[in-house]
Amino acid sequence: MSPLLRFMTSRTWLVALAALLVLVAINWYLQPNLMTPRVVRSNLSVFLPVALVAIGQTYVILAGDIDLSVGAIVSLVNVIVVSLIASFGGDVPGILGAMAIGVGVGIACGLVNGFLVAVLRLQSIVSTFATGIVFGALALLVMPTAGGSVPSVYWRSYGGTLGGVPVIYWIYGVSLLMVAFIAARPFFKHLAAVGGHRAASFQTGLPTTRIRIGAYALCGLFSAFAALCLTGETASGDPLLGQALALSSILAVVVGGTALAGGRGSAFGSILGAIVVGTISNVVFFARPPFEYQTLIEGAITLAALAGGVLVARGRRTQ
Amino acid sequence: MAPLLDVAGVAKRFGAVTALSDGALRVGTGEIHALLGANGSGKSTLCKIIAGAVARDAGVLQLHGADAVLKHPRDAERLGVGLFYQELSLVPQLTVADNIFLGHERTAPLGFLSARRKRADVTALISRFAPVLGDGFSPDVPVARLAADQRQIVEILKVLSRKPKLIIFDEATAALDRRQVAIFFDVLRELRAEGVSSIFISHRMDEIFAVSDRITVMRNGVTVASFATADTDQDAVVHAMVGDAPLRERIEHPRPANAAPARITLTSGTSRRLHGVSLSVGAGEILGLGGLQGQGQSVLLQGLFGAAPFTNGTIAIDGKPVPVRSPAAAVRHGVAYVSGDRGRDAALQGRSIFENIANATLVREKRRVFWPRQLKPRFEEALKQLNTKYASLDAPIGSLSGGNQQKVFIARWLATGAKVLLLDDPAKGVDLGAKADFFSLARGLAAEGAGIVFYASDDAELLSVCDRILVFNSGRITAELTGSTLTSFHLTKAAYGEAA
Repeated sequence: MSPLLRFMTSRTWLVALAALLVLVAINWYLQPNLMTPRVVRSNLSVFLPVALVAIGQTYVILAGDIDLSVGAIVSLVNVIVVSLIASFGGDVPGILGAMAIGVGVGIACGLVNGFLVAVLRLQSIVSTFATGIVFGALALLVMPTAGGSVPSVYWRSYGGTLGGVPVIYWIYGVSLLMVAFIAARPFFKHLAAVGGHRAASFQTGLPTTRIRIGAYALCGLFSAFAALCLTGETASGDPLLGQALALSSILAVVVGGTALAGGRGSAFGSILGAIVVGTISNVVFFARPPFEYQTLIEGAITLAALAGGVLVARGRRTQ
Repeated sequence: MAPLLDVAGVAKRFGAVTALSDGALRVGTGEIHALLGANGSGKSTLCKIIAGAVARDAGVLQLHGADAVLKHPRDAERLGVGLFYQELSLVPQLTVADNIFLGHERTAPLGFLSARRKRADVTALISRFAPVLGDGFSPDVPVARLAADQRQIVEILKVLSRKPKLIIFDEATAALDRRQVAIFFDVLRELRAEGVSSIFISHRMDEIFAVSDRITVMRNGVTVASFATADTDQDAVVHAMVGDAPLRERIEHPRPANAAPARITLTSGTSRRLHGVSLSVGAGEILGLGGLQGQGQSVLLQGLFGAAPFTNGTIAIDGKPVPVRSPAAAVRHGVAYVSGDRGRDAALQGRSIFENIANATLVREKRRVFWPRQLKPRFEEALKQLNTKYASLDAPIGSLSGGNQQKVFIARWLATGAKVLLLDDPAKGVDLGAKADFFSLARGLAAEGAGIVFYASDDAELLSVCDRILVFNSGRITAELTGSTLTSFHLTKAAYGEAA
């Protein structure tokens, strides 16, 4: 195997990067002000929640499972955080406390999913679809209709800068650090092993149940982060906030080069995948096709991006 | 000094089946110990018990002179026991190096993965096998891309990387070629010099005599003999494996005429796990395929049926060469295949008995549209021949017992009037009564002119039913048993690669 090929094989996100470059070029042509700091920042802040959820989803998919409840977790964390901030009185310690509890709720939701899938051995698609309904219903109990608001210090900080750098860039930076940290731990290899061949991993002596629960917990954690970001974006609570996030996060993960069957992939690719999926919407919007064709074209380009990645990956394997 | 491993009186039952009734094994420090026995003699179960993968029902197991509690493979690993799995423990998507160190990742301070340590350690491990690794082997290649022998070497390296004191090699050489085996044996001897012991299971008698210090023989779940390799010979070992076998009960029948025309002929059939196998089955003949499990018998039958077509070789049916590239083609030429693995190969789960029988007839007769009423009498007749117990043809297949289900799958082929019957361990997990019905039916079909190829993992079944037995070892025929050589002694000896 040539060194170039080896380089490509071990970096499954390269296809997503190539797709991203092409899409950005087209987007730039259609929207000449794309590369101004303001537009870049606004785009990246729109993509951020999907990117965060996709990071968490990567670990679950890598371990051979799937999490359809991420959208509902985002909604649940959002309404809980908004309600708690209101009841804590809206000062900074209260906000931080509510955020910490929100993160805890996200992890707890992940643990519930992990328990159902890895301990009770329920099928992951079905059981996370069901827990998604439960989490969504809990969100409606906490806050039956969209509303409420967070203190301005919350959304001003989220939209502001820290040390001259926009806060959302800090969030991207910290997320990348977390991704790099997890990828450098043995746990990451264990995730891929469990997703690649569960029986073999068990015979090798890996604690497969604990590993799969860990993946769901991470997914809950990153979903909670996404919820905190969306709360900063919308400055209010909405029990249906995360509805579309489950499928778009899975799309981002697959576009980012992670095998849906598990065993191969990277969370870094999923961040790229989320940006690709977002950029596709932008391209279609700025190309101004007839309104009734927009969704169709967006779907076709997404399909092409997906198929491209999958076909390239398959071609490499048969060589 | 106490031996490294001392097992005595170990028993294990799986449901109604007794896999092990009195297993015993003593392995000294720095010893290569061969474990031998026919299929189902309990050697695999004993090894799994020692490795902590199966819990024993009774008996004593001491490691390093102390009673060992093994609830999980990890417990055995902690006590220095390593088990080699036949390809079963590799993750195809991970690289060679990641597979070798899976669960024991090489780390830097603070528990981060260390690429540098991984590379250094894997290079040291691989270097021993470097001359025989073959093309495309590198620590960074995903295991999915390796050939069977290369994967087996990765498995060996994976066990060695854990530095166990006792290693169980269950068929570790099955996929290796001569040069690779030679190096593997050198490694075993070096380990022995360092005080590491090995339990070695192989289907090749010459390997066992080449490398082992002691030999323990098992039969029917009992440890029956133990030899110092230097003080014994192959015949003595085979005799211990066979025991004082009672005279087999043959189903008496007239010998088929020698000049019977060949029903099916295979000339130098070759596939990934089969090397130039030729055979011919006459009308009225039952040809047995013998040997230890997994030596190419099932692959051969699946090849003849087109389910796993040969890469090379020609098949002739009734003297006419025919291409058999798919099961549909085989069925149209009058070939039938009955597998012992009903769930995987035969059953249409949740469908009626009628549908489970009809599918073969529909393919054979190229029917697109049919009237169930016309077919039902035929199917009922076929089921009756087999003494099948069923409520009605419309009952779901799952309502029948295993033995009766198997009869339905045979009736499936009876209804097509097949000329060639391929039986792939068909009586596996079938009760004794059904077994007897089944074998007398096979004999009856042969008498009507069918040619039957019969593989059974149970030697007694082969010896009682077959006119002739071809014995397989590593994808080759090692012996042909007829007449006076149709004995369990010759069968066992040939199974271990010795010409009878």
